[in-house]
Amino acid sequence: MADPLNLTRRSLIERMLLVAGVTATGGFSLPALAESAAGNRHLDAQRFTVLSAVADTIVPKTDTVGALEADVPTKFDAMLKDWASAQTRSQVAAALTEIDTLASRANGKSFALLDAKTRHDLLAPHDAASLKVLPADTKGGVATLMGFPNYTNPGYGRIKELVVMLYYLSEPALTQELTYEHTPGEWKPSIPVTPETRPAAGSMY
Amino acid sequence: MFDAIVIGSGMSGGMAAKELCERGLKTLVIERGRKLEHGASYTDWMQPWDLPNAGLIPQDELKQDYPIQSKCYAVNSATKHYWVKDSEHPYTTPEDKSFAWIRGYHLGGRSLMWGRQSYRLSPMDFEANAKDGYGTDWPIRYEELAPWYDQVEKFIGVAGSKEGLAQLPDGEFLPPFALNDGELLLKQAVEETFPGRKVIPGRVANLSKAQPHHEELGRTSCQNRSLCERGCSYGAYHSSLSSSLPAAERTGNLTIVTDAIVHSIAHDPTTGKATGVRVIDANTKEGRTYEAKVIFGCASTIGTAQILLNSRSEAFPNGLANSSDMVGRNLIDHLYGLSVAGILLKGPNTYYHGRRPTGVYIPRFRNVTEPGEFLRGYGFQGSATRVGWRSAALAMPGIGAELKQRVRKLGPWMIVVSGFGEMLPNPENRVTLNAGDTDQWGIPTVHISCTHGENDRKMAKQIIADGKAMVEAAGGMVMAAAEEPGEPGLGIHEMGTARMGKDPKASVLNKYNQAHDVPNLFITDGSAMASSGCQNPSLTYMALSARAAHHAVEFLKEGKV
Ligand SMILES: Cc1cc2nc3c(=O)[nH]c(=O)nc-3n(C[C@H](O)[C@H](O)[C@H](O)COP(=O)(O)OP(=O)(O)OC[C@H]3O[C@@H](n4cnc5c(N)ncnc54)[C@H](O)[C@@H]3O)c2cc1C
Ligand code: SF4
Repeated sequence: MADPLNLTRRSLIERMLLVAGVTATGGFSLPALAESAAGNRHLDAQRFTVLSAVADTIVPKTDTVGALEADVPTKFDAMLKDWASAQTRSQVAAALTEIDTLASRANGKSFALLDAKTRHDLLAPHDAASLKVLPADTKGGVATLMGFPNYTNPGYGRIKELVVMLYYLSEPALTQELTYEHTPGEWKPSIPVTPETRPAAGSMY
Repeated sequence: MFDAIVIGSGMSGGMAAKELCERGLKTLVIERGRKLEHGASYTDWMQPWDLPNAGLIPQDELKQDYPIQSKCYAVNSATKHYWVKDSEHPYTTPEDKSFAWIRGYHLGGRSLMWGRQSYRLSPMDFEANAKDGYGTDWPIRYEELAPWYDQVEKFIGVAGSKEGLAQLPDGEFLPPFALNDGELLLKQAVEETFPGRKVIPGRVANLSKAQPHHEELGRTSCQNRSLCERGCSYGAYHSSLSSSLPAAERTGNLTIVTDAIVHSIAHDPTTGKATGVRVIDANTKEGRTYEAKVIFGCASTIGTAQILLNSRSEAFPNGLANSSDMVGRNLIDHLYGLSVAGILLKGPNTYYHGRRPTGVYIPRFRNVTEPGEFLRGYGFQGSATRVGWRSAALAMPGIGAELKQRVRKLGPWMIVVSGFGEMLPNPENRVTLNAGDTDQWGIPTVHISCTHGENDRKMAKQIIADGKAMVEAAGGMVMAAAEEPGEPGLGIHEMGTARMGKDPKASVLNKYNQAHDVPNLFITDGSAMASSGCQNPSLTYMALSARAAHHAVEFLKEGKV
């Protein structure tokens, strides 16, 4: 099916990437990215820069695209505006500030200004500590299983979840990292696994 | 004046309209919700990256407008337009007895969003009330409904395998959606460890192979996308929009009005018959009436109870067709949400291709081949799948290249089984009207008081124990279990509020789904059910609708109604 929405969005992304200064050297300039999208944003420039760096650290570019190339920070910011409640917004903002403060304490610099390895080494233990799940206060019904986990650090929990979701629902991730066919056609109940086999996306879970 | 009015265009109304139109009756379908178009109103074209807000409904909107609907798994930003806003359609419950009334008001009703699992009730189910004394005896037996099951299955298209099981009769099936290797492993383990139990392909109203009579209606074979609850532009699953209403339409006998809320049914005490329905325009809020020779109530279990209770007259001070005082009573839903999930430590090293729109089914075995310390029983729906990106990425901490690597690897097999249990009929579980509390259309809102009983709670415990034992028999490590049943309503199989029965003092409808009190009133949605079995019920509503339409037309011809 022709999908005009999709075409428009793709060219928008490309334009944005140009403005953001994706250069021949192939890198992103985080501050430039923040500036280019500043027009209609929810997060202030400082937090947007931290968010971009956090997203880049959670899903970096490897042999496939990372969160930045998949435009995750901009989409994340749009979700803060269009989807999040006031409580979620403030939890996320506080969680971003917390990460930046951790960086300043440990390295005397904003998180976004650290090199990739230092960012990773700082965020990995924070990720593990933040995502511990507290025992639920309700009994184990299906609502508890379906609900948002009771993380020790719910603000970071949201950041992680949204970054991961926005990345793995993006077209580049679904074509390069995983596989996705909108219309598989045939159901084949058993196919061999080869070194090239990639998980197929398509369900929300 | 029409020959027939059908109130509601959902699963049962669509089938009733088709059968009435095909038998030559000029039929008016009255639907309270807005018009939807097959194809144009669907969102199955949305790619994952097109989903508004990554599939999530804005948090404030969810809390404000969908606090109840959002308890249903199928509610997301791509299907939002199919669910009622709870804020606009209030009802009450006792504080300690919550009930989730999950619904959609639009042309096609919940036939658009349903999970399409389609199973016959069995001889045992129609005898259950008579045998253990709960509820009132069904006025029909399986054999009387069997030919109508045949006809409906053939028309809607049900994919399934013939198994020869007494508790789950076979039907007119299209080829089944085959089990994958994880499910074959589960099947072998369960059938060996627990003789008498079976793991079979989920029977589902999706066209595994469209037949010529499906293609005549513009329906084609299923493409294995599992986007069904967004509406299917291929018409590959049965809904009123893809299947029953188009069949009714091609007879030239069908008229549809949408945005028309049935307020009540008018009754003439001199003839003893219903004369028509009073309708309120959903937009202008103006009233009007439609008249017909026969009326079919298909507004869904709670909707129909609301209409009958609101149709009061001198002859029926407690509501139309309610001399038995059974209208609104005996509300049942299946025990739901009792799920066990386990990871296979040694699963087969294979994968599958496509997103099949069903999984496995484990037919009832308690009080069939194995005893139970409770009455009646349950079946399980389930599946074995390779753990997907979401769980792989989020179920444990970890970031960076390691996270990407983890998600890119094929996940382990996960087995999920989820019990659907039969709730006993109980007259105290009931729908009443809130006198004096009306909605924006001036119709009294409903009060729903429904709770699980002792038998239900005993059953829930055993569902979880059996679920765990089967997952473990397959070599699964149980990771999670939802041990508490969801609140009633969440099974979305509500039924029983105008039950069929032999005794006019203890039931509302006779063996033809005809009101004992009002000969030209037929009710064929879930409210007719005298008991629920444990099988997903919509196929039975459709079979009852087709059968009742046949009899209504015969009675009309004979001048009996
Ligand atoms: C997510 C989901 C999954 C499901 N899965 C399954 C499954 O796998 N198998 C299964 O068997 N069942 C399943 N069901 C249940 C199934 O959808 C219902 O059993 C079935 O749709 C009920 O048919 P009905 O005709 O009684 O009601 P509906 O299909 O709800 O139709 C009733 C219609 O009446 C209209 N109406 C109501 N009140 C009035 C009024 N006053 N005036 C005019 N019109 C009115 C409504 O707007 C609606 O269109 C599922 C339901 C949902 C939501
Ligand atoms: S799985 Fe089949 S029925 Fe469901 S949306 Fe896809 S093609 Fe349609």
